[in-house]
Amino acid sequence: MSATATLPPARRLPQIPWYVTLGMGWIVLVLAVALLADLITPFVYTAMDLQYRLVPPFQTWAHPLGTDELGRDVLSRLIVSIRVSLLIAFGATLISAILGTTLGFLAAHFRGIVEQAVLMLADFQAALPFLILALSVLAFFGNSLPLLIGLMGLYGWERYARIARGLAISASAQGYATAITQLGATPQRVYLRHILPNIASTLIVSMTLIFPEVILLESGLSFLGLGVQPPMTSLGNMVGYGREYITRAAWIMLCPATVIVLTTLAVSLVGDWLRDRLDPTLG
Amino acid sequence: MIRYILTRFLRAFITIVLVVTFAFVVLRLSGDPATIILGPEAPPEAIAAFRKSWGLDQPVLVQYIQYFAAIFQGDLGMSMRDGRPALELVMERIPATLALTLPALMLKLAMGVPAGVYAALHQGTAFDRAVMVAAVMGFAVPSFVLALGLVLVFAVNLGWLPSGGRDTIWHAILPIVTLGLGGAAALARFTRSAMLEVLGQHYIRTASSKGLAWAVVVRSHALPNAAIPTVTLIGFLVGSLIAGAIVVESVFSWPGVGRLMVVAVANRDLAVVQCILLLVATTMVTSNLIVDFLYGALDPRLRHGARANA
Amino acid sequence: MTPLLQLRDVARSYVTRNNLFGQARPVRAVDGISLTVNAGETLGIVGESGSGKSTLGRMALGLELPDEGTVTFDDAPMPAPGSAAWRTLRRQMQMVFQDPLGALDRRLPVLEQIIEPLVIHGIDGDQRSAGLAALASVGLSAAQGARHPHELSGGQRQRVVIARALITSPRLLVCDEPVSALDVSIQAQVVNLLIDLQAERGLGMVFISHDLRVVRQISNRVAVMYLGRVVEEAAADDLFRAPQHPYTRALVSAAPSPGPRRVERVILTGEPPNPAARPEGCAFHPRCPVATARCRTEAPAPARIAPGHTAACHLLTPAAKVAAR
Repeated sequence: MSATATLPPARRLPQIPWYVTLGMGWIVLVLAVALLADLITPFVYTAMDLQYRLVPPFQTWAHPLGTDELGRDVLSRLIVSIRVSLLIAFGATLISAILGTTLGFLAAHFRGIVEQAVLMLADFQAALPFLILALSVLAFFGNSLPLLIGLMGLYGWERYARIARGLAISASAQGYATAITQLGATPQRVYLRHILPNIASTLIVSMTLIFPEVILLESGLSFLGLGVQPPMTSLGNMVGYGREYITRAAWIMLCPATVIVLTTLAVSLVGDWLRDRLDPTLG
Repeated sequence: MIRYILTRFLRAFITIVLVVTFAFVVLRLSGDPATIILGPEAPPEAIAAFRKSWGLDQPVLVQYIQYFAAIFQGDLGMSMRDGRPALELVMERIPATLALTLPALMLKLAMGVPAGVYAALHQGTAFDRAVMVAAVMGFAVPSFVLALGLVLVFAVNLGWLPSGGRDTIWHAILPIVTLGLGGAAALARFTRSAMLEVLGQHYIRTASSKGLAWAVVVRSHALPNAAIPTVTLIGFLVGSLIAGAIVVESVFSWPGVGRLMVVAVANRDLAVVQCILLLVATTMVTSNLIVDFLYGALDPRLRHGARANA
Repeated sequence: MTPLLQLRDVARSYVTRNNLFGQARPVRAVDGISLTVNAGETLGIVGESGSGKSTLGRMALGLELPDEGTVTFDDAPMPAPGSAAWRTLRRQMQMVFQDPLGALDRRLPVLEQIIEPLVIHGIDGDQRSAGLAALASVGLSAAQGARHPHELSGGQRQRVVIARALITSPRLLVCDEPVSALDVSIQAQVVNLLIDLQAERGLGMVFISHDLRVVRQISNRVAVMYLGRVVEEAAADDLFRAPQHPYTRALVSAAPSPGPRRVERVILTGEPPNPAARPEGCAFHPRCPVATARCRTEAPAPARIAPGHTAACHLLTPAAKVAAR
């Protein structure tokens, strides 16, 4: 039952490595930027200023990170991009966690054919690189933001499903789920009130491990011009368009690229650390 | 063992059937292919003709069976962009993609495996820590950022290498390095932990306490056993190479299957997309089959067919 | 008076598969057992591991249905597990498990878990005071109710499980090895608690254990199981004072008992019972010190050897009852 490690109340402050502290700091900063985007963007992100095109960073106070080929403020675009990318990643991670956990519970509860079907779908999902699957769906259905989020929401569901199924089966085998069923509780009550809270820490750790992968996936798709569509902007989207100006104005591309790298790095450092603390059994 | 092989084949087959079904369902769900392809202003006669030529006037089940029959006969439809068979278009791009992915795979293995083994044997040293840091960094840097970074340094600033195209062998270097570097650190990390696990086992300590030279113990006991879990990574590596090729070929304007895929998706050239989807699925399933068989051959418990009682 | 719980010729098989190529082989865990439990009565079930006693307990509670035979509660057949009728019936029948830590949700304070059956069955009223009363009835304080399972001792946890089982005032309680995971010093306390609660509430109880000492203390009647069958059933005093079946005699003689030993010590030889390899004839014959040729080929049926005393052995007839020594 190490999988659902119960944390002792925080009597002593845990020793947090410096890089995890930095990672947490970066995450907080990025979240603040995403939430306050409307307040802190110096310019409207689509506003063009054709007099100031391709201004390098740190040249003028008006455009601290410079401007792009249309004279749009890179900082403002970066802030809006962070919001869009995080919104997609959060939405997708949540959808995937809910979908996967539900399917995992269904598999654990019904066993038999349902379980085989879920496991087969999970195998299928794991057998194809997700990028290919995502590209095919985008090709067939065209592109829209809800579709994109929903599509990203399919990413990684099989991992939650496997975890939820395994833990739910072991919860039944260990007794507390059986004991509560035996009290007359409905399966919904057993799964939602007892099993889910018991495995929540493991699921949350998985979310922190999958979240950066979703950011990378979205930015990859947007970079290829197949994700977020202009005039909306996202981190990958900015890198994709900035690439045209790599020889003359590398900053357009470097700013969002740095944010992508730092954010995935921060979330995975914090996620790894959480996993080691809460749940060493996760791969 | 026979049962093991048969179940693996069955699963591989089911996966392919699922992929074909997926393509079929998605194709049908995505709306009327006739209007998508011919455009909403197409004359009704053209739409009717199109529907007839694609068998869209038949019941869904008939369409589904015909779809399967066509695919297993190698008929994957015509590219809507240049009117040539999709399969032909994809096939002629394969050599270019292999020219990138095969050397990249070699590079990945040549860097990742020795680094992982060395790090495990010298646990806690600066090299070991460097491997771990590189693994974390390697995950955080997406391939398109890595690719653009390399372009920025070696093509734009230093001017040593071309930034795109496929004219000379020099053009291949940056794409191969990008593909090879991505995941090499993850491979090293995985090899390291597999190796560490094996080194911690009883039989290794027994072998070394019997007085066998450490080098012999490592070579004849530790490495073969550490290879077993590492083999399972091959499937993952192939998958990451395919996904990586899509991005890298796009960045470097490399005329391979990945670039074709991106263009086909952007143009909604469904036949080509579906053809590549099936190609990738077949590749993945085949490589997973190979992994399963290698695994069966390497793992004596499976080789003898008697699995521990569950 | 109709019995509270009645099992008629119940049998239950499991399918096992031992390896990759193994053939599916049904194992009869319970092989044709009839038992009754009356209100206010405790039936002890004794047997080694693998004798099928836990399976029998699960069928008695309706947690699984028998493949053959019937289980009736209050003369009504047991509804299918998981159905709404089954869930409603849980109010009437409860279980105490061997591992109290496993049976409790380690994330919730125990008081909250004790009142959970009230919530589940929509029993209104002051659930909290009902919970506190239940805590008090098993000898726990309100302060202990606020703790989590891992903050309590093994005996205290088992008291929590008992309090939870009794809060809906069930009429049947099945205890499956309720004290075998506890320290010997704690075992007596929990057993005494169960005896008191049972007498107070007039519960029908099934008490499953491999520990003869405990079963003797708590039971009115005792059934001895061997490889899925009841080999002997009698009033507890009768059975322990004058065990009849060779297997029971071996068990009783091996158990530590207070005072001078009244039964000659019989040592069991041979393999412990394995339900997957059930011997022909009387399942006990390979280990039986008095087995005859007939025992190897023909399985004995349970027979009445004295009023209220049945046994399944070819060597036992009503006339041949072995006197207490």
